[in-house]
Amino acid sequence: MPKEQKQVRELQEGSYVMMDQSPCKINAYSTAKPGKHGSAKARIEGRGVFDGKKRSLSQPVDAKVWVPIIERKQGQVVSVTDNDAQIMDLETYQTFTMRIPEDEDLNPDDEIEYLDYEGQRKII
Amino acid sequence: MFPGATASRTDAAYVVVGAPLDISTSFRPGTRFGPERIRRFARPFDDYDRRTDLRFSDCSVHDHGDVRAWDDAPEYLAWLAGELRDVVADDAVSLVLGGEHTVTAAGVAAADPDVFVCLDAHLDLRETYDGNPYSHATVTRRVLDGDDRADGVDADVDEAIILGARTGSPEEWERAEGEDVTVVAPEEVADFDLESHLDGRSAYLSVDVDAADPGFAPGTGTPEPFGLDPRTMRDVVRTVAPHAAGFDVVEVNDRDDGQAASLAAKLTREFVFSHAGTAD
Repeated sequence: MPKEQKQVRELQEGSYVMMDQSPCKINAYSTAKPGKHGSAKARIEGRGVFDGKKRSLSQPVDAKVWVPIIERKQGQVVSVTDNDAQIMDLETYQTFTMRIPEDEDLNPDDEIEYLDYEGQRKII
Repeated sequence: MFPGATASRTDAAYVVVGAPLDISTSFRPGTRFGPERIRRFARPFDDYDRRTDLRFSDCSVHDHGDVRAWDDAPEYLAWLAGELRDVVADDAVSLVLGGEHTVTAAGVAAADPDVFVCLDAHLDLRETYDGNPYSHATVTRRVLDGDDRADGVDADVDEAIILGARTGSPEEWERAEGEDVTVVAPEEVADFDLESHLDGRSAYLSVDVDAADPGFAPGTGTPEPFGLDPRTMRDVVRTVAPHAAGFDVVEVNDRDDGQAASLAAKLTREFVFSHAGTAD
């Protein structure tokens, strides 16, 4: 599993974290002061990178969490069929099929960037 | 625990959240004691509501307890908004017990309504109060216009309807003339056609207990005479509740014999009965 362990306090908005075993991008990070009888806690809210689902967690700031190592790669569109595109990775020349995001208009030979985590891919 | 709030979090349709913020109260402090006091003065009420034929303990209400407050309003509001977003994500309605009125900004940000309906003696439309954009005297302005300066809470509604307002600064009355603000004076609230004005839009209902005449609710930070009577406030709650995505009652303190807390607790229950009675 390409992931590393970090403390909650090292996270920030825009970075990635695993929540419910899914890689998520953090869109809100807030901390609560501990007072006399509590511990400093952090709330993390994020959205699944590949499934778009909202998730949140609340943990002490010194708790350990998994941070996924998501790779950003270059690819080229080989062909387009309906909503799917065949993409060739420009480093490994591996080809695979990806769903085209609704707001994207892809044509053969277009160069794209995509995120890759354990075989889950997303055009950005 | 709020009496009758016996549902588990997973089964909850309503979640009581105490928000005992008490940092910008400008006259009499004590809102930090509001949540516990409201819960205490809800004890004598019957579980059964004759009008709706509902039992409060059958309405799936859960008490989350208090979200402990500290002395940095934008930070606290960001944290509180997150907690309340969890309630919304669980398809439940938050019932926030204040705390000073500032906490409303978090409730509105989480519920994301079209309209902000507010029972309040004050306009709360100041841009800043004593230089502070996150004060109990600026909350309606924050809810309307957001704030570019801080990482606070991004609440942004189409319209604010302020019922029972009877005081404000010249700057606030000027802001109230905007098309996105409707102010209804105390003597006009009973006859104001709120249902038509809402026109089916989703609402957030904030009850500042100082909307009531101080004779009915003395235990509040900035009492303002010539206010509303409790039954008029009750009728507003009954009208708005079916359209509401969130609710709070704020500005209750411990400086009376429980009148303000009793009214706040009763209006909270009215909200639940009126909302649950019309839920699909």
